[in-house]
Amino acid sequence: MLELIDVSKKFKQNAAVKSMNMFIEKGEIVGLLGPNGAGKSTAISILSSLVEPTSGDVKYQQKSIIKNPVALRKIIGIVPQEIALYEDLTAEENMKFFGRIYRLKGEKLNMKVQEVLEQIGLSDRRKDMVKTFSGGMKRRLNIGVAMLHDPEILVMDEPTVGIDPQSRHYILQTVKRLNQERQMTVLYTSHYMEEVEFLCDRIYIMDKGSLIASGTKDEIKRILASENTISVKADYWNDAFIEKLKANPVIHQMNVEEKEITFVVSREVNIFTKLAKLAEETNVSLNAVDVKNVTLEDVFLHLTGRALRD
Amino acid sequence: MILQMIKKQALLLLRNPMELLLLLGLPILLIAILGTALGNIMDGGEIDLQFKLAVIENEAESEQVAQFIAKLESGNLPEEVIEELSSTAATVQPVATLTDVLQSEELEELIILEKVSPNELTEVTEDDSYAAIIEFPEGFTYELLSQLFLDEGRPPEMTVYHNEGAEIAGNIVEQIVTAYQEEYTVGSFLGRNGIDPEQLKLLSTDFKQEVSSINQHNPVNSKAYYTIGMVVMNALFMAPTIASIAFREKQDNIFDRMILADISRWVYFISVLLTGMLFAFIQSLVVFTFAYIVFDVTWPDLAAFFIITFFFALAVGGLTTLLTAISYRIHSERIISFFSGVIVTIFAFLGGSFFPIGENSAFIQRLGDLTPNGAAMSAYLSIIRGEAIMDNTDHLIFICCFALAAIIIGVLTFPKRGAAA
Repeated sequence: MLELIDVSKKFKQNAAVKSMNMFIEKGEIVGLLGPNGAGKSTAISILSSLVEPTSGDVKYQQKSIIKNPVALRKIIGIVPQEIALYEDLTAEENMKFFGRIYRLKGEKLNMKVQEVLEQIGLSDRRKDMVKTFSGGMKRRLNIGVAMLHDPEILVMDEPTVGIDPQSRHYILQTVKRLNQERQMTVLYTSHYMEEVEFLCDRIYIMDKGSLIASGTKDEIKRILASENTISVKADYWNDAFIEKLKANPVIHQMNVEEKEITFVVSREVNIFTKLAKLAEETNVSLNAVDVKNVTLEDVFLHLTGRALRD
Repeated sequence: MILQMIKKQALLLLRNPMELLLLLGLPILLIAILGTALGNIMDGGEIDLQFKLAVIENEAESEQVAQFIAKLESGNLPEEVIEELSSTAATVQPVATLTDVLQSEELEELIILEKVSPNELTEVTEDDSYAAIIEFPEGFTYELLSQLFLDEGRPPEMTVYHNEGAEIAGNIVEQIVTAYQEEYTVGSFLGRNGIDPEQLKLLSTDFKQEVSSINQHNPVNSKAYYTIGMVVMNALFMAPTIASIAFREKQDNIFDRMILADISRWVYFISVLLTGMLFAFIQSLVVFTFAYIVFDVTWPDLAAFFIITFFFALAVGGLTTLLTAISYRIHSERIISFFSGVIVTIFAFLGGSFFPIGENSAFIQRLGDLTPNGAAMSAYLSIIRGEAIMDNTDHLIFICCFALAAIIIGVLTFPKRGAAA
C-alpha cells in the first residue's frame, strides 16, 4: 500500500535517515520505535510527502508520490508530535477550520465535526478555547483534526508525549478502535515500547537514522531467543557483589538500580547457583531471582547497547 | 479557502487584546500626546502674550490743534487756504489715532493700554508690570501739524521706553509705532504734493494683488500631521504581527497540516498577503475615523484618501509576505522581531512620523520618500493640503513598486515544499 524504498535524507552534512526500507499494508498498525533523535519524524515527513528524500522513492499503490503527492494526501491523516492547533480558537472553531481546508463544508462539515468531537470525548468542551485544555485534551483534539476527512492511513508521531496515564489510555484505545472498526491503517511512532507492544502488529526499530530491526513482535523478540533476562532483587547491594557480577564473562547488559539488578545471560548458563554463591560470599541477602519475559526494550538494549529513553 | 484563512486570522487577532491595543490604541494615544505636546511648534507657535502699555501725553491734543488753527488764522495765508487747512487739521490727531490703533479689536487681546498722567512717569517706569511706555512730549501734535501743513520746524519725536525682560512686547510696540510713523510720512509727502491719499487708495484698487504664503495650500495642523504619521508608522507593525502568526503556524506544524490537506502554498501565501493588506487598511481607517471624530482631521478629497490608503495597505501586505517568507526560510522569528524593533523605527524616523525631519534637508526628504510609510505620508500630507492625487503619482508608483518587490522576493524566498524543506 505505502512503502519507502531505500530512502535517505541528509540535512547539510547530517544524515537523518539512511537507506530506509519500510512498507505498510492496508488495515495494519505498524509501529516505528526508536529513541529521540533516531530519525522517526523525518521518516514520517518523507512518507507523508512533506519532505523530499535526498535519494530513494516513496510509493503509494505502486506509484511514486515524490513528484505527485495528491493521491496520498487525500487519504492520509497526520498527527504531528507538536500540538498543531490554534490555542486562541475553540475546539469547534479549530475543527471547522481544518475541516474547511479538507474541503468539507455546510452540513457535512458540521456533522463530521460533531462525530469526531464525540469520538475523542470533547463534545462538552467544544465551545472552550484550546488554551484552556489539559495536555491530554489537546492531544485528543490534535488526533481528531487528523481524522476529519476520514483518512485511510493515520500517521501518529508520538501522540502521547507528556500526557497523563488516563489520556494515554484513552488515545491508545481510540487508535485500537479505529483500526478494528474502520480498518484504518495506522503508523504509530513512539519511544514508549509498551504502547507499541500494545498496539502494533508489526514493528520497525530505528536508531541513528537506520532501521536496525523489523518484523512482528514475536519475530523481534526472537532476536533474544538464545538469552534470558534475569532480575535479581535485594534490599541493598554492596560494591563487592556488583564488581564480581560485572566481572563475570557470561553476564552482559547489566543494569543496576537501588533494589534491582537486571542482566542478560545465555540460556545455556545456569546462573542461579552462581548467584546464590556470590551472595553468600559478599554477604548480600537476595529477596528474589526471576527470569523475565523478553521485551522490546530488551531487544533495543541488545541491538544498540542503550535504553530507548536514554 | 482564502476567505476562511483571513477569517481565522481575524479571529486570532481579535482574541489577542494586547496586540489589538498596540495596533489601534497606541497610535491614537501617540496622536493625542504628540499632537498636543508639539502642537505649538508645528502650528507656528502661537504665544500667549498680553502686556500693559502706558501712554503719556504731556499736553492735551485738542489744545494743540486749537493752537495750530489760531496760528494759521494769525498768518498771512488766504482765507480759503486757512479754512481748508483748519478743517483738515481738526481731523488730524496723531496721538488719538495711535491710541485708537493700540486699542483696536485686533490688538485688544495683546495690549492693555493705560493712559497715565505725565507726573506719574517715574512711577510707571519703575513698575515692571508695564512692558512699554509711549511718551508724547509737549507740543507734539502742534509741531507735527506745523511740519505737515506749513513745512515748518522739524518732525516731533515721541519716546518709547520698554522694559528690560519684555523685549517681545517692546518690539511689538516699536513695530506698531514705526508703521504709524511711515503712514504719516507718506501722508505728509502726498499732502505736500497735492495728492489726496484717499484718491490713491481708490486708484490702488485697480491693481489687484493676491497675497499668499509661499505654500499656497491649506496648512496642516499638528493633530492631522501626527494622525498621518502614527497611522503610517503603526500600520507597518501589522506586517510583523501577521507574519508572527504565520510563523507560529509553521512552528506548530499547522502549515504542514495545510500542505497535507493539499492546500497550495501559494494559496497560503496569498492569504498572508491579503490578510496583511486588509488588516492594515482597516487599522488605518479605524485610526483615521477616530482622528476625524475626536481631532477633526478631515480630508478634502476622500477618493484620493482611499487610493493612498489602499496602496499603502498593499505595501504592508507585501512586507507581511516578505517577513513570513524569510522567517519560514531561516526557521526563525528573528527577522520579524528585527523588523518591528529596528526597521519600523528607522522607517518612521526617516518618513517623518515623529517630526517633519524632511523640512530640514532635501536629501532626508528624498530618503524618507523611499520608505513606504514616508511616501504614503508625503502623499497624505499633499492631499490634506488640497493637492490633487495626480500630483502624487510618483509616491504611489513608488509604494506600488515597493509592494511588488517585497512580494516577488517573498515568492522567491518562500519554501517550495513543506515547512521543513
